[in-house]
Amino acid sequence: MLEISRWVVCALIGILTGLVACFIDIAVEQLAGVKYIVVKHSIDTFTEVGGLSISLILWAALNAAIVVVGAVMVAFFEPVAAGSGIPQIKCYLNGVKIPHVVRLKTLVIKVFGVISSVAGGLAVGKEGPMIHSGAVIAAGVSQGRSTSLKRDFKIFEYFRRDTEKRDFVSAGAAAGVSAAFGAPVGGVLFSLEEGASFWNQMLTWRIFFASMVSTFTLNFFLGIYHGKVGDLSNPGLINFGRFETEAMEYNIYEIPLFIFMGVMGGVLGAIFNTLNYWLTIFRIRYIHRPCLQVTEAVLVAAVTATVSFAMIYFSDDCQPLGENQAEYPLQLFCSDGEYNSMATAFFNTPEKSVRSLFHDPPGSYNPQTLGIFTLSYFLLAFWTYGLTVSAGVFIPSLLIGAAWGRLFGIFLASMTNGSVSGIVRMTLSLTVIMVEATGNVTYGLPIMLVLMTAKIVGDYFVEGLYDIHIKLQSVPFLHWEAPATSHALTAREVMSSPVTCFSRLEKVGNIVDVLSNAATNNNGFPVVSEFSASDEPGRLCGLILRSQLIVLLKHKVFVERAHSSLIQRKLQMKDFRDAYPRFPPIQSIHVSQDERECMMDLSEFMNPTPYTVPQETSLPRVFKLFRALGLRHLVVVDEENRVVGLVTRKDLARYHLGKHGLEEMQISQT
Amino acid sequence: MREVVKFQFYEIKMCLLFIFGSAISLLFVEVSEGTTLETNLPLKDAEWVRNDVLRSLAKPEADDQSPYSLGQFSLGFLDQLEVSNQCLELLHSFSIKCVSHVDCTLRNARPVRVCENCYQDFSNLQEVYRNISQESQVNVSCRDTLLRSDRLQVIVSVYEFLNGFWGKSECSRCLTKEDSISNDTLNFMNALNQSLDCFQKFQQSGNLSELCKQCKGNYSRLSELYSQMEKNFTLCIDLEDAMNMTRRLWSKNFNCSFPREETVPVIAVSSFMLFLPVIFYLSSFLHSKQKKRKLIPPKRAKSSNNLMNIQDK
Repeated sequence: MLEISRWVVCALIGILTGLVACFIDIAVEQLAGVKYIVVKHSIDTFTEVGGLSISLILWAALNAAIVVVGAVMVAFFEPVAAGSGIPQIKCYLNGVKIPHVVRLKTLVIKVFGVISSVAGGLAVGKEGPMIHSGAVIAAGVSQGRSTSLKRDFKIFEYFRRDTEKRDFVSAGAAAGVSAAFGAPVGGVLFSLEEGASFWNQMLTWRIFFASMVSTFTLNFFLGIYHGKVGDLSNPGLINFGRFETEAMEYNIYEIPLFIFMGVMGGVLGAIFNTLNYWLTIFRIRYIHRPCLQVTEAVLVAAVTATVSFAMIYFSDDCQPLGENQAEYPLQLFCSDGEYNSMATAFFNTPEKSVRSLFHDPPGSYNPQTLGIFTLSYFLLAFWTYGLTVSAGVFIPSLLIGAAWGRLFGIFLASMTNGSVSGIVRMTLSLTVIMVEATGNVTYGLPIMLVLMTAKIVGDYFVEGLYDIHIKLQSVPFLHWEAPATSHALTAREVMSSPVTCFSRLEKVGNIVDVLSNAATNNNGFPVVSEFSASDEPGRLCGLILRSQLIVLLKHKVFVERAHSSLIQRKLQMKDFRDAYPRFPPIQSIHVSQDERECMMDLSEFMNPTPYTVPQETSLPRVFKLFRALGLRHLVVVDEENRVVGLVTRKDLARYHLGKHGLEEMQISQT
Repeated sequence: MREVVKFQFYEIKMCLLFIFGSAISLLFVEVSEGTTLETNLPLKDAEWVRNDVLRSLAKPEADDQSPYSLGQFSLGFLDQLEVSNQCLELLHSFSIKCVSHVDCTLRNARPVRVCENCYQDFSNLQEVYRNISQESQVNVSCRDTLLRSDRLQVIVSVYEFLNGFWGKSECSRCLTKEDSISNDTLNFMNALNQSLDCFQKFQQSGNLSELCKQCKGNYSRLSELYSQMEKNFTLCIDLEDAMNMTRRLWSKNFNCSFPREETVPVIAVSSFMLFLPVIFYLSSFLHSKQKKRKLIPPKRAKSSNNLMNIQDK
């Protein structure tokens, strides 16, 4: 029964994610369409009459107006919805509890934010936000209730735990990927690459199911929207179109060329990441007030419009309108019957530009035009990523790659992957995503080669973009393995000590004081048998969590009251599940003076067999145990089972391999 | 007793298997020869070749260098000529109409006037083909003998090519259902002629700017008409080509399209826009307080003599 309900939840996740993707796509198309029609009309009238600078101002103003809405929403209401969301989901799947990352409010703001960013003409994509939305939908649906809306549907109560929720969030992320790219297998692999500490086989199948349902739903509803019911030709938000098989052959002597492309992509990606890194540091330091962030976003939107307009204005490249028409062709100063070819690149949402770069016949783009376009788009893209708007970086990097790949002009599809891999460093899932999105497995080998080369080259210089941002936000992210050369460290040197412990029968006043102490922000407390006369800690009996203590305090489960007739019923699992995930803070629990003198028996509620390690355990071993089991607290004991210290995620995440060997980072309070 | 029974069963089994096997192999043989089952006319094919030979001898203009000489074949098949004469005539008529259509099309290839001049030829051709491909009430149908007797299928291929060609040129849009030129097309041709006359008048004087000014009205009317027809889907290749040529004349030869004016305001506004972020970043750098980060220091156990901390390493 439980297994069936898991499948049902995954199906629900897939359907809802597909619907949300559909909504985003339609909204962007409509809004961007309106904007482009207005600007095109203005440009067409002013080309003849004169006064094109008015068109420029109009375009910049429209961009700014649309973007300001999104930026205000994100900056003032939910800062965690900024960016693409993939780093946050990566951390969530790693086990870090990032506040607010899977809330309904975040979802709403993310969706409207991404609509406004893309329609506002920023150099962004809508794929990353799709993944975040899918994850939020999964987190919400799997709990069977909405804490924000204060509605409890009383279903799926078994799933109100961290482990189950995390599994469903991986399914949601995969559904998001598959809705964004039309690549269900790619979605599964993305979840696997990013969040696979706690994997099992049935999970793989369920996630694949959710991805397939999601792409099918999107396909179906987009077909209805375009007026052709039952036409299943829009499997993803990005549609590269079908490639003709004859044009896609490659020979073995072209493999070195592909590898070269990969190297270029890696280098390009490294440059992008470095530039963005400096910019993000600047932003974190100086632009941290919400109004400043909104202003910055508005300025970027205006400048994007200016740059695009200037490119189109000064371009002399005129091409006759081919069969693959641009949606809003601008004639500008070209002769009749011809259209400005810069406009087909710039006067479009990024996805359409990518599509036209892939499919337009050779000769429709002047090398000079393409070169200028690549360069300016590269600059715009690295400037835009990191703004407080919801935006992805996938499509811009694809666009940059496609543009300079087309410059080299040999094979279209493989070029793009170099720069995306160079920027993002997700190799396996990206290969599959590209293969699925282009619909041609023939190209699998070159794509993989290019991606791996780009990743190797890029890694040599700098880390992946998402990892950079994770580090900059000071998230205690645990990698797959402990840093090398750390086996000389032992648990004793890594742990936090001294540890706040409770005894089996503890005074309520003491508990409340410890929990209210703002200096220590612990979440787990070892429970010890008895304190000996001196300050020596007692023997370990169990582990109790802050959340559990709060529930106990809220329900006033005191020893004295158990004997009295005031107690209504015994505390059940349900009470703990109901309080999950937003446990009330200790300040909202009122404890009277009399109650402070009562005693609480913790032995019924603690975890009686917590994991422990001896003091001399090496750091890699501690790391492996922590990561593989998904622990939050690891108690360090001496030979007599006395509590000596406590290892948490923050203690382990400090150590990383720096330039001069093993370094210890400081973790700051955010 | 038992062994005898078994032996008998064994024999029966082998016989049955043998029968099955032969039946299946016979079936395969039949099916593999099935491609000819459909036409069912291997004999008639041979006849057909000979008839052709006989016919070519009858026609005086055919240069007969065929290796077959008449004397080898008996003329006993002549009585079956009656049946195919009709088909021969159809073929002859098809070939004539085809040749004339192709001739007309090629003559009108540049500038493209295919729709205007060749639509009658094409409709004649269509009719002949329709006659051939009909299932006639006469006991012999020419369809099979003419269209489906060999692997080359010349007639079908040629007709498909010409038909496809006609379809691509979209000539049907410029013609009415009764196969005459539509009013829209005539309208357009009128406007076109007016513009061309205007061009000619002023071109002789040699003053191009005068031409641009005077003929602008005609030309814009023509352009508008053209975009209107584009929306209504009443354009065919003739009109498209004519418009294309006119546009080229207007823009490239006479240089009448818009020159790029007033770059100065555009540059001014762009530089102002580009300058704004610089100001913004500078001001935030100078005025905002740098966000101080509160570091969480690690709580470490006091190190004893034989255990070192990382700082000492």
